[in-house]
Amino acid sequence: MIHPGARTAAARPPGTLLRRGLLGGVIAVGLVVLGIFPLVVTDPTATSIAFFTVVFMGAVSAWNIFSGYSGYLALGHAVFFGSGGYAVALAARDWHVSGGWAVFGLLPFGGLIAAAVAIPFGLIALRTRRHTFVVVTIAIFFIFQLAAFNLGFTGGTSGIQLPFAPFSPTTYNNPFYYVAAIILVLTVILSWAVRRSRFGLQLLSIRDDEDRARGLGVHTRRVKLAAFMISAFPVGMLGGLYFYFIGQIFPQYAYDPLFDVSLALMGFLGGIGTISGPLLGALVLESLQQYFTQKFSANGLYLIIYGVLFLAVILILPGGVVPGVAGLVRRWRVRTQRQSAEAADAAPRGVAGAIP
Amino acid sequence: MSALLSVQGVCKAFGGVQALQACELEVHEGQINGLIGPNGSGKTTLFNVITGYERIQQGSVAFNGTEITNAPPDRVFALGIGRTFQLTRIFGRLTVLENMLIATQRRESWLRSLVRRAGSSAERRRAMELLEFVGIARLAGEPAGTLSFGQRKLLELASLLVADPSVLLLDEPAGGVNPTLIGHLADRIAELNRAGKTFLIVEHNMEFVMGLCHRVTVLNQGSMLVSGSPEEVRTNPAVLDAYLGGAGDGGGARDGGGARAGGATREPAPPAREPAPPAREPGPPAREPAAAPAPAAAPALLTLRGVYAGYGGGDILKDVTIDVPEGGITCIVGPNGAGKSTMLAAISGLLRVRRGEIAFAGRRISGRSPREILDLGIALVPQVHSLFPDMTVRENVEMGAFTIDDRALVRKRLAAVEELYPIVRERAGERAGSLSGGQQRLVEFARCLMLEPNLIILDEPSMGLDPHTREIVFEMVTLMNRQGRTILLVEQNARAGLRLSTHGVVLENGMVRLTGSGRDVLEHPEIGALYLGGAVTADAAVP
Amino acid sequence: MSGTALLQAIVDGILTGGVYALMAAGLTLIFGVMDIINIAQGAMVVLGAYLSYELSAKAGIPLLPGLLITVPVMFVLGVGMEFLFMRRVREADRAAMSILVTFAVAILIEGVLTRAFGVDYVQLHATYIDRSIYVLGFYLPWIYLIGFGLAVVLLVVLYWMLYRTQFGRAVRASLQNRTAADLIGINVDRTRMIAVGIGVAVTAVGGFAFGATNAFNPNSGYDLISRLLAIVILGGLGSIGGAMAAAVFMLVVNDVVAVAWSPTWAPMVFFFALVIVLSIRPQGLFGRSGVRAQ
Repeated sequence: MIHPGARTAAARPPGTLLRRGLLGGVIAVGLVVLGIFPLVVTDPTATSIAFFTVVFMGAVSAWNIFSGYSGYLALGHAVFFGSGGYAVALAARDWHVSGGWAVFGLLPFGGLIAAAVAIPFGLIALRTRRHTFVVVTIAIFFIFQLAAFNLGFTGGTSGIQLPFAPFSPTTYNNPFYYVAAIILVLTVILSWAVRRSRFGLQLLSIRDDEDRARGLGVHTRRVKLAAFMISAFPVGMLGGLYFYFIGQIFPQYAYDPLFDVSLALMGFLGGIGTISGPLLGALVLESLQQYFTQKFSANGLYLIIYGVLFLAVILILPGGVVPGVAGLVRRWRVRTQRQSAEAADAAPRGVAGAIP
Repeated sequence: MSALLSVQGVCKAFGGVQALQACELEVHEGQINGLIGPNGSGKTTLFNVITGYERIQQGSVAFNGTEITNAPPDRVFALGIGRTFQLTRIFGRLTVLENMLIATQRRESWLRSLVRRAGSSAERRRAMELLEFVGIARLAGEPAGTLSFGQRKLLELASLLVADPSVLLLDEPAGGVNPTLIGHLADRIAELNRAGKTFLIVEHNMEFVMGLCHRVTVLNQGSMLVSGSPEEVRTNPAVLDAYLGGAGDGGGARDGGGARAGGATREPAPPAREPAPPAREPGPPAREPAAAPAPAAAPALLTLRGVYAGYGGGDILKDVTIDVPEGGITCIVGPNGAGKSTMLAAISGLLRVRRGEIAFAGRRISGRSPREILDLGIALVPQVHSLFPDMTVRENVEMGAFTIDDRALVRKRLAAVEELYPIVRERAGERAGSLSGGQQRLVEFARCLMLEPNLIILDEPSMGLDPHTREIVFEMVTLMNRQGRTILLVEQNARAGLRLSTHGVVLENGMVRLTGSGRDVLEHPEIGALYLGGAVTADAAVP
Repeated sequence: MSGTALLQAIVDGILTGGVYALMAAGLTLIFGVMDIINIAQGAMVVLGAYLSYELSAKAGIPLLPGLLITVPVMFVLGVGMEFLFMRRVREADRAAMSILVTFAVAILIEGVLTRAFGVDYVQLHATYIDRSIYVLGFYLPWIYLIGFGLAVVLLVVLYWMLYRTQFGRAVRASLQNRTAADLIGINVDRTRMIAVGIGVAVTAVGGFAFGATNAFNPNSGYDLISRLLAIVILGGLGSIGGAMAAAVFMLVVNDVVAVAWSPTWAPMVFFFALVIVLSIRPQGLFGRSGVRAQ
């Protein structure tokens, strides 16, 4: 009944070794580039663009852990970004942390605050689904923005200053860049670990068919909330880092609706739900955006390009670049497989391994 | 052997429809139980109640002595009851193997689940074994969404087996699956049963059920009709009644003439609530002459020639050739999955035919849009209620003439329709959604008459209606016919439908099995076999 | 806080609520017909305001007559948006995708406006804008009265259209039962397109009222859409009556809170109210539970 060759054939589709080798190679190259970029390209404009890009790559990866894997589109992650920023700013001020490397030590605190904020946020928002969920995340985002404007301890419209970082002017950007890079790598590892864990599998099953997942024993509410919190932590850290780099934080910048939309756009462009997709999306879009802002500083133009790009991505490549390419590769592989199978095959049907 | 799973006195209603009525069922350990019954008898609802997807206020469900009434789905699953769905549900974006690993997550501290790799090597081994068992192991790394229809069914079954349930509820496992695979599926189920698993299987495929099950329960109109061995059930006249309709009419041949008039022997005479249009008797005298001679004498208004059609790559209709004579009432009957609705969808333009041709009044209509077909004079009253619930009855009927700009003409037609269907005038200002099922049907008929169609297609007009209202509906059908409209009717209630038809067609498994005059088809000895298993050896065209 | 101040706040709330009701009605109409939340509605109001501004400041066309131009322009824009973008969104991912698509359109509009007008705040001017009439002890600013009056008129027109015209019947039919609408011969695609056009056309009037009472710049759309979303969801997606009631309610509460407590806290009340209502009743106050995208 069992086709003898089936086991090995199923476990090792042709080209796996090649694929894995390629992947390993790409990762190695990527890490090397990540590591030596500021040493090779010393122009401060370039390194600051690189910094912003790396920050967004990390943020989108973290966002993807929730929205990509669970299928719930969250458009309120700016809440975590800004909250992390405020947490670090306030801690630096109130705990008298002087500028320099010490402030980096506050970043995990920023992450924790963001994760803590995710709890009530998630409890409210995750009671709803689909349209309403998205709108609730937007609504809660605006609550935070308005709170930041109005509450005393956030400094209102003038915001809070972060400590001055006494890094050497020529390589000023580099410490920030490297910290961002470390957070990025950790986030990607986290994303990968979640993806291959049972927890990740449960998340993905929720995305495909939440009711059936429940029926199979998945504790959907817990899983969703946990994912929400996990995705908040890195975003909070990156927020703290970002605003430390900028030097100050105030409400419309900390809680910027465009941030929410950017995360979604980058995720969708690259391929939501994959690991490499968000990285690709952020890499392309953020560097483009920064380039435009630096070169043209004509705010309107990049918004227009954003909007057009967004529309193009959603309408033409609804799955994103990475899944689109992956789909093409798979179809090509199936076609070649089928051709070779037809050529070699002469065995009669009716064997269990050949189910139509 | 006491019952492993027992259902007592369960009642479940949806709005005005009573889906389950004091329903009882017993499943004994180690048995393969079949659950059959005509459309709308409540089989899937019963499954939903048992597995916690529907709540009930009355009745109880017990498993192994423990009460599990209204327990949530995850608890039911944790107790060892697994279930598949009529429309196969799998996790499309996960690989086949990953699908298998979801159900193993029972009884796991979720904190550990965060860190550990999905599926230990032992679990993966077991998952692969099960995949081999059902025969799709070579697809383990493929996204589940790329699987064929039959393969998905196997995956859905296999993913339940991972959790080693003791009872498996399968909802139409053989539905839409090709014949080679059905045998394979039956073998797997038998093997699992030998290993100690209990099954409760809902199916319409009678061969499958009768061949596999130790015991068969028949559900009708929400309650258990009969329960026994396959042989007992198959030969029980009450069961055939339930499927063919006209409960309690008694099986077998009917005499011609007077006894046909609206089933007058059993059905209570319809009261004068709907002020009857003249000549209420659904005129056997007027129609008899048409029934006796060969239907082919009347020219065919609608023809299907060698039609193949289906959804998603598979053909449901296979080489269907039918003539719908002008001026008559043609009734299409057949068991579930026979392709009746598919045929109507193809005729009305909602579904493209893959091969073959459909022609109306000599003109080809296959391939045209629904709007074009409507303009040619064909009106369709679909199976599901198609009124606009928040509009008034009068507005609904007026909407039937939406495509007519001449308001005076519309008013004239409305008046004519009101003559025929007084309910339109009586309930003119009421919200259409507040009418009963039968009343809505009548308003739907009224609406479709506004365009004065030549051919009216009715998809299960009596569905969900009580016998009394059914009679009224059928009377109206006959009346519309007598006004000169050709009627094409699909009916679940085969007896009632064929009784009032001049021409009958039996579809089974997408193919035409019997054709002839209405009465002849109904009295054909093979019709019981067609409905309750046992294939017809050759197409029997009754002269 | 005096009673008259409170009553004044309520009156103000009702008047502004009327304008918001109109804009929210457009939003909920689009949702009802397309199953799509038009995030760009706020940006479109701002666009409408800028159009009125251009006409009055550059072409010398006064604000009210200018509406005769801006309304059709916005209608065409709505039709174009439906035809070009909304229609192409796949059924499967409708909810998420449509929000992103309309968000993209909003960004696009903001970008275009920034290029055209820069980021400085402007406001619409007319002689009546700063004047009020004094009635029964209340100040009723002319502009609010005009805005409210226009809103009422348009809502009546909208109602008449929906319930008394053939087209309106087609819209309601498509809303209530798409299959049946198809079967009767209604061109559902075209009906939807026009309905979206109408839903957007009302933003021209909203733009006039908004722009006359607030200083605005291209960025103002976000604040607006957040309020409109809150209103529409509070009222229940798909219910025009609900949107109207919610609009008046929210604005009254907003103005009362602004007077009684602090103007800066007032907007937060919006969102808190929304969040609280949704926690208890996810389908909103008048929404049809289970019928629409939940």
